[in-house]
Parts: sequence; structure tokens; C-alpha cells
Amino acid sequence: MTSLEAVIEIGSTGIRLLIGEITEKREWTVIDHSELPIALGWDVFTTGLVSRESLLQCLKILNRFKEQIQCWSLPKDQITVIATSALREAANRDTVLDRILVKTGFRVKVIDGIEESRLMYLGVVQALQDEFPKLKKNDSVIIEVGGGSTEIMLLQRGKMAAVHSLRLGTVIIEQQIKSMMGSQKEAHRFLVEYIKNAGGIMNTELKLDEIDVFIAIGSEVRLAAQQIGKRIYSHCCSITTESFINFTDELQEYSVEECAERFKIPYSDAKTLAIGLLAYKLFIQLTKAKTILVPDTTIREGVLVSKFSSPSAEIHDEFTSQIIASAYNLGKKYHFDEAHAEFVRKTALKLYTTMKGELGLDDSAGMLLEVASILHDVGMYIRGSDHHLHSQYIISHSDIFGINKENMTIVSNVARYHRGKGPQQGASDFYALPRLDRMAVLKLTAILRVADALDRGHSQRIQSFDTEFKGDTLVLKLHGVQDTILEKIAMKEKADLFESIFGYKVILV
Amino acid sequence: MITKNRFFNRELSWIEFNARVLSEAKKTYIPLLERLRFLTIVTTNFDEFFMVRVAELKRQSQTNPSWKDLSGLTPKQQLDKISGRVHEIINDQYECLNSVIIPQLAKEGISYVNSSAYTPDQLHYLSTLFQQEIFPLLTPLRVDSSTEFPHITNLRLHAAFLLKPLIEDSLLPEQFKHKKDEDPVAVVQLPSSIPRIVWLPSEGDKKRFALLDDIVTLFGTRLFPGYSVEESFLFKVTRDAAFAVDEERDIDFIQAMEEVLAKRLSSFPVRMICTTSSPRIQKFISDQLALTAQDVYEVKGIIDLATLADLISVEGFSQLKFPPWKHFQNAVLHKDANYWDVLKQRDILLTVPYESFESVIDFVTRASEDPSVLAIKMTLYRTSGNSPIINSLEKAARNGKQVTVFVELKARFDEKQNISWASQLEQAGAIVVYGIANLKVHAKMLLIVRKEYDGIRRYVHLSTGNYNDKTARLYSDFSLFSSSEELGNDATQFFNMISGYSSVQTMKVLSMAPINLKSQLLFMIDREIQNSSKETPGLIMAKMNSLADKDIIEALYKASNAHVHILLNIRGICLIVPGIKGQSENISVVSIVDRYLEHARVFYFQNNGEEELYLGSADWMPRNLEKRVELMFPIIQEDIFKTLKETMLVYFSDNTNSYYLQSNGSWIQRKQEDQEEKLRAQEFLYNQFHHNYEAQIKELPKEFIVRRTEPK
Repeated sequence: MTSLEAVIEIGSTGIRLLIGEITEKREWTVIDHSELPIALGWDVFTTGLVSRESLLQCLKILNRFKEQIQCWSLPKDQITVIATSALREAANRDTVLDRILVKTGFRVKVIDGIEESRLMYLGVVQALQDEFPKLKKNDSVIIEVGGGSTEIMLLQRGKMAAVHSLRLGTVIIEQQIKSMMGSQKEAHRFLVEYIKNAGGIMNTELKLDEIDVFIAIGSEVRLAAQQIGKRIYSHCCSITTESFINFTDELQEYSVEECAERFKIPYSDAKTLAIGLLAYKLFIQLTKAKTILVPDTTIREGVLVSKFSSPSAEIHDEFTSQIIASAYNLGKKYHFDEAHAEFVRKTALKLYTTMKGELGLDDSAGMLLEVASILHDVGMYIRGSDHHLHSQYIISHSDIFGINKENMTIVSNVARYHRGKGPQQGASDFYALPRLDRMAVLKLTAILRVADALDRGHSQRIQSFDTEFKGDTLVLKLHGVQDTILEKIAMKEKADLFESIFGYKVILV
Repeated sequence: MITKNRFFNRELSWIEFNARVLSEAKKTYIPLLERLRFLTIVTTNFDEFFMVRVAELKRQSQTNPSWKDLSGLTPKQQLDKISGRVHEIINDQYECLNSVIIPQLAKEGISYVNSSAYTPDQLHYLSTLFQQEIFPLLTPLRVDSSTEFPHITNLRLHAAFLLKPLIEDSLLPEQFKHKKDEDPVAVVQLPSSIPRIVWLPSEGDKKRFALLDDIVTLFGTRLFPGYSVEESFLFKVTRDAAFAVDEERDIDFIQAMEEVLAKRLSSFPVRMICTTSSPRIQKFISDQLALTAQDVYEVKGIIDLATLADLISVEGFSQLKFPPWKHFQNAVLHKDANYWDVLKQRDILLTVPYESFESVIDFVTRASEDPSVLAIKMTLYRTSGNSPIINSLEKAARNGKQVTVFVELKARFDEKQNISWASQLEQAGAIVVYGIANLKVHAKMLLIVRKEYDGIRRYVHLSTGNYNDKTARLYSDFSLFSSSEELGNDATQFFNMISGYSSVQTMKVLSMAPINLKSQLLFMIDREIQNSSKETPGLIMAKMNSLADKDIIEALYKASNAHVHILLNIRGICLIVPGIKGQSENISVVSIVDRYLEHARVFYFQNNGEEELYLGSADWMPRNLEKRVELMFPIIQEDIFKTLKETMLVYFSDNTNSYYLQSNGSWIQRKQEDQEEKLRAQEFLYNQFHHNYEAQIKELPKEFIVRRTEPK
């Protein structure tokens, strides 16, 4: 028996629907899709608000989609509605979401830029299936220029080196040009400078001019692929860089009307076509890629894949390893003690596995613990004393692939409390969290503190250890060391939280 | 026909089609009542032509007199030529009626009795009939030049009388005197509730009939006590029906459409067809209606042949009618077949009217009752009023299935009927979409979504003809049933686009007007040119109703010059000029006119051996390719491909009902050559289906069709 899943995405330039049919083997095909234009991005990026007209239009479109979905007799829990940058940035987003819920019955999940990357990545991996192994041999970039933001993932030999969500979008640029009464030429200059600066920052993470695989997703580049590309897989096209640049340059001369007529696309899409392609062109010129890979996937396919959990264990593992790689890269950026981080990560993971039955946390918590373990000392880059506070600041202001804002807050709080006292009254960063997230912070912090104590001297003296529960005591049998005084002192200092939360004393033998 | 050698004029080309219909009426080997039917078709065709095309030209000649068509004619020049040629054809038509059909019908036992020949018994009978049934329905209106002329309803027969007071005018009191020195004229609309053919009491198996108009004229004096009828006159006015709905109004579109229907009653007169009985009344009325001599068509004898349909459907007289042709049940989609299982295995081609349209109705009916069916989506363009399809759709909606119907309110002359059943469907819970602004939805597609044990499956039916069970008995069309995934995907996309779910999306196998159908055709013609050489010429075969698109014609000329052989089978309008050296010597155009109306659109491209064949809803006319939503779909399955290609060739071998277009615009009927066997394409196809059907019922059932519910 197959099942169906519907995904609706409220984007900057349109609302789009995708319905996938999923087999028992977790393979899926798209059986229905549609899109209708809406100028949400235009509203939000100019006035900061979703206008009344756009809201009404949005409700109308969503109700049409609801009718369309009825054709497939889909139950409500198999419909996911997400919103990206436009709604994310709207000052009146809460009222808009409430109107949508009341008038259409859809509960919209607003996703952040990094979550967008995660979904995008899942979709790309699916589409590139055959091509994917090649990514491991080369440096690559995955990029999507959207209406309100640009998502970039840099991969070094297949491993996530960095991930960025730039506030650079076709609708935003078009708006800025218009408000400055600027011309195409100024738009070009603006873009060139912006992308040059962004490229400069990214160069410190991964040498851009050594990138030879350029993966582009997004509606503009998909249109280019339709026109001048070659289909190499069922879900993926390729375009040579040269013909892409020619196509883009030629298109800059066209008026919006000509674009709409020539490519038979809605006027709203035509408006951003030239500028969107220009952005891709400038990015590709930072690299040495000879071809552009254009998978058919969109964020909607990503949601679909994530919805029926991992399509395969392989992709799931791949994905987790990308998150870890991304965390390490952030650590490197702040010259962290990699050996210590690695020790603490492994130790924490082992304790986490041991404690799993007692935790009551969902599966992704382990991954958050790993990331927090890697980055807990990253604040040392600023100053040794109070480095836990600096760690919290750095983490909460950085991007890690695959971890959304809510989870980043958990990670930064865990790092914050790996040292010093637990959350005190008035700790607003902590108490602003939902209750379940606060519990997660406390439990993960408790484990991290124990793991950190086992490498008090940052020398990784303990080669391995075994765990054993004895009544109300957790016994850690350490191997490879005689003298464990240092660790015992540290444990006294740091196991407090563990004892108060889980009720186990920690004994080192 | 003036051509400037590149294009024929569209209107004149259409008129020649009607002339071909008339030539069928003249064929002595065709049964008499069928010949009469062809004569009535000529009249109804002209009615529609004047209402739409001539009205439009008249408007053009006012607003844009210097505009020229592809053949280089201004509106005025076209109107002159139209009037000249239509007068000729109508004269020809009446010549055939009066000197052949009516006398021969009398010989066969159906006699028309005109009012001068009534026997005393008949007079008595008709007098009573008039007094009791007709008189109460008549509303005579007196008119003179000082009062406003009454409204003359479009296409309705009217009688007019020139009256004279029985008492001398000078003897009348002042207020009853005539203001001017003219005799008054009175106009009466003939009631439509009484059949025009009035059968007279008859003796033996001979039938005699009188006409309502004769009776009203004869007893008309009774309408005007105090006056004598000096002269009487019958006439019918054709009015403009070409105006469009205000496309800006989308929400209250139905109301706008109703207003159009109301407006149609009072639009400007385009022509008058009338008897020769009173030049004085004729002049008076044509002056009142602002019609010139060019717009007046005088006929001798029975006026308005369009209303003689009752005569053709007279009981008995089967020797005067075509032998009945059955509509055979499709060999695969029969009543015991499980359509879903069959279509999972293969595609099915249905050829109406040789095969019965029942299979389509059955398909919808089964879908409406099948618990696994989730949704039914369908375009309905010119569907008959109490269509079984509408009933099934209503039932499906009541059964909780999602039913989406696309009602095209712009299908000319059918709006009134469409509006009523559309609201009936809406009340049942169906989603009714009333068209797309500025575009007519002319594509014919049915999509059924079914949830089966191994997943969602979509069944598609695509046709060249409308979902109309009435016309499916007369119009020859092809349609395809399929469960192909690609077609299903495209069909979903198509309905998303036309139901307001989605902006334009690309489709994999379907070509859609006004998006990419034309460019796809031009691409395929060009590909044929690239592949063609003198030694290995390309081949294009196309069958359609009309060919009028300039770009396509130019492309075909180019192809002809590149040695591509182009065989066109075009029933009606054709603007291409064949047989001109250096332009079109490789193009030949045939038109088939027979008892079924040729309606299918089939396009074949040789493509260097990788042959392609498409069916579609679109003619190659600018209005179809640019102003309508149309579809063209490829035929992939080998046996269907072969059947269709062979059928195309049969039409080009016809030597009884085929007319070939000449470079001067005339059409010459192809005759059997010496020792050539007679081949009448429609009969050939009928016999083929007949033969297959007989063979099939003789075949013993080799398979048990077990009626049971399937294990879960």
C-alpha cells in the first residue's frame, strides 16, 4: 500500500504545492504539483509587513490548494505547510499565521534559513543519487538564490565545511534597486560587490576557486536548465558554465515582458529572472566549475523526504555526519582544541547511549549533544575566563548546517552551562525556552559536564571506560590511567547537575 | 476567389464548403429524404454563418473599413463577394428543392399541398385548426413609417400583410383615418409551439402536408377585421450574434452571459430571407431594418428549410432514408469488461460514430459508482442537455467523490442550456469552473483518479470530439482511453492550470494551446523539412476541420518546396493554395462530405522513419492555436498507431465523396477512374467495424468472466 504526502510552501514569490506518493520501500514519485504567484516578498522586504491584499490572496490560494488536495483524499496529518523567508521576516507574521489557521485550517511551520538548507540538502542528495559519490572526491557548493535569502552550503570532499544563509534574494535586490531609482547597471554593481564580500568571507572556510562542482537549485536556474541544459539523470540536468553565462548575459537585455512571453512564465517570475540568474553567474565565477548541476528538487521535496523520516539509513548517516562536519568547521574557525573536543564528543555520546532509557528525549538530542560537545570551549577564542559565556554567544550567532534556530538555542545553552553554576534566577536565555527544551538543556548539560570532567587536563589520558549502574550509583571504570585524582576533583565539581537530575552519583574507579 | 496566390479568403472558402454540402443533395443515388436533409443543413449552416461571420464583417466595415484579410480583401469587398456567391448557392438550392426534391417526394407519396390547392375537406380541416389552435397564439402588430418598427426576432419566421380598409378612408371618423397615403402593413410572428409541418388527413399510405405559414397567410384576413389583405409576405431575419461577453467580469460571469443571451434577441439585422410574393412589403421591411438589396435573399416556394426537420423524420419511408448504420460496441470495452483492468494492460482507441459512445458514458458511470474512485475531472464543451454524463457526474458528486467540471460558457449558441445544468451540478457538490477569461476551453479530456491496492492510478480519456452523446452519433471522432502514467501526470497538470490551482506548467507529452501547441507543430513541420530531400521526401498527413493559420501555411509552403509531400484532409475552411509551382506543388487537399460529419483532428509526421502521430482538439486556425485552450496528444501504442495511419490513407483513396481543392479555389469531386473500384471512405470504415463486430460475436468465449468480489 502506498501513502500520500502533501507539502505546501509559502515562499517569497509564490505558493507552491507538491503531492508525493510514497511506496512501502520508501521510494516516492511526485503525482501532483502546482504553483500560484503571490507578492509576499515584495511586501515584506519593502514595508516589513504582509499587506492585507497579499494576506487575502494567500488565503485564496491556500483554499484552492485545499480543494486540490481533496482530490487525493489526504488526511490532515499528511499535509505539511511551511513558510520561508518572506513570512519569517514579516513583523505581522503571528497574525498572518493565525488568519491562515482560522480561514484555511492549515497550521504553518515557519522554517529558518539553516533548516531550509537542511531540507534542500535532503532533496539534492535524493536527486543526485548517482552523481552523489563524486561529491566526495571534489569540493562543491550547493546554492539556492531565493526571493528573500540565499542558502549556501560549502562541501569539502563531501563534508560540510560551512553553511550560510545570506540576506540576498531576488525580490530584495529588485526592491532595493527600485527604491533607489536605480538601473540594471547599478543592480549589477550592487550584486557584484555583495557577492565579492560574501565570497571573501567564505574563502576562509573553503577555497572557493578550488570548487569544481557547482550545484544550483531554484526556479530561475531550473528555467535555464530547461532552455539550455541537458538532462543527465531523471531528476537532474547539467549546463555548461559557458553557455549559462552566455544565456544569462543575453537575458539581461530582455524586458520583463519579453521574458514572460518568451518563456511563457508568469509576470512575477519574469520580474526576477534576470537578476536571479545574474546572482548565480557571479557565484559560479568565484569557482572553477565547468558545469552546473541543476537537480529538479526544491525545498518541498526535502520536506517530503524528511516527512517520512530518512529515506534510507545511508542518507540519514550522511546527513548526521554533515552536521558534525559543519560543527567541526565552526570550531576550527575559532581555533578550538580539536583533540579535547573529539574526546568530549565521544565520551558524551557513550554516556548518552548508556543513559538513553532514562533521558526521555527524542533521537535528535544525541546529535545536539555531539555538537555542543564539539563547541563547548569555542569561547576560549575570546578569553579563557567566562569562556562558557563566549561559547554561548558564538554558537547562537553562527550557522551550523542542519540545525535550526530552536535547536541552536539548546546547543548554545548546553555550552553555556558546561561550566559554572546551573541556570540561576533571571537567566533569561534559559527561561525563555519552552519547558521541554529547558529539560533537554539540563539533561544534555549534565552529561556534557561529566564528559568534560573526564578530560580535565585536556590531555586525553583516559583511553577508554566502562559504565555500570549499581543501585543509585553510576560507576565509570577507567582504563589506561593509574592516577585519577584530577578527574575525581573535576567530577566533584561537575557531576552535581548529573546527580540532581538523574539521581545517580558518579563514581570513578 | 481572389487569392493573390498565397491565401484564399476565409469566408469564401467556408461558403464553398456549404456548396459541397449542397452537391451531396444533388446526388441522385442518395435517398430522397437524405437529400432533403442536406438541403436543410445548407440553410442552418448559412444562418450561423450570417449571424457570426457576416455580422462581424459588417461591423468591421463600419469600424475598420480599410482592414484587409490574408487574401487582400477589405470587409466591403468580402461582403460583396459573399452576397454574390450565397445568392448563387441559394438559387441552386431552391432549384434542387422545387424541381427535383418536392416533385419526387410527391411521387414517392409525400406531397406538399400549397394553399391554392387545398380541397374543400382540407380547407375545412385547416380552417378549424386555425381558428382553434393557431389564431389564439398570433399577435399581429400594425406598422407604418410613423411608428417604431416592432422587434423582429432572430431566425423566427414572420408573416407580413398589406392591408386595405374595407370602408373608404374618407368615411371614417377623423381619429381612425390614415395619416399618410399609404396602406398599413401588419407583422405576425409565427408561433414556434405549433409544428410547421401540418399533416393533412390522408387516404391510403400517401402523406400530404401543409405548412403553418401557408395556413396563416390564407386565413390571415381573420386577424384584421375591417380590412382586406391585399398582399402577404413571409420573411426571416438573421441577426448579429458575434458580440462577446464582457471578459472583465469573472465572478458574475453567468449573469453577464445571461445578458448576452438577452442582447442576442435585439442585435442588429444582418440579412433577410423572404418570399417573392410582395415587392412592396419587401421594400418596406428591408427599409425599416436598414438592409440593402445585397442582404435580401428572395426564394421561390417553401421558405426557411431549417424547420423542415419533421419531414425528414417522418415515420416509415425507409426506402427514402439511408440504411441505418449501427454504432457498434467497442470490442474490448464491452459491458462485461473490467475497464480498469483492461486499461492497466493497454490503451484503447474508440472511433465514433462507427463505435458506440456508450463506452465513454459507461466509463463515467462506472467511475461514479466505484468506491475506489477519488475524483473525476472533465471538460464539458457543448454537452447535450439531459446528458447521461451529467447525471453520472451528479451522482458521483453526491457519492462524495471530488467532481470538477469545466463548463465552457462561450460555446456559441449553447449557453442557455449550459447554464442550467451547470448549476444542477454545483448543487450536487461538484466544483464547476466557468471558463478562463479571454480563452475558450476547447480541449476534451476526462481524468479519473483511482486509489488501487498498489497505489494511485489515473485513467485518462482524450478526444477529438465533444462529450456529447447526440453529436457522437453524427460526428466522426477518435478518442483514446489510457492509464499511462505520463498522460495521467500531464492530465493532472492540465486540470490544475484550468481550475485555477496553478500557473502555467510544462507538460511532458501533451502540447497545449495557447502555450506550446503551435510552436510544437511548427517545430515538427520544420523537422520534416530538415529530413526531406528530393530522393527521400518527407511526408506530412493532416486531417482537420479547417486550416487558416498563416504561419502554419507558410511553413507548409516551405515544406512543399523542400519536397515534403503534404496530404491534407480538410472538411471546411482551407486558406492554403495547393498546386502552385514553387509554392505548393507537393500539397494536395481533399475534403470529405458524407453522412457523418468529419470532425477528427489527426496529424502524422514521417520524421525520417521515426513516425509520429497525434490526435487533438485543435484545428490549425489562429483562434484555435492562440485564443483557445486546446490539447494535442501523441499516439504511442503500436496497433492504435497503425489503425489511425491506415484510416488516414483510406480517406485519400475515397472516390465517391471526396472533393479536391484546385489552385483557383474551386473544388472538384473525384470520380471513379476506369476499372477503379468504388471506395466510399465512411462506408469502408463502417463495413470494417461491422465485419469486426460480426467476427467477434461469432467467436466463442474462451475466457470465463467471473462475477465476484475480489479477495482483499
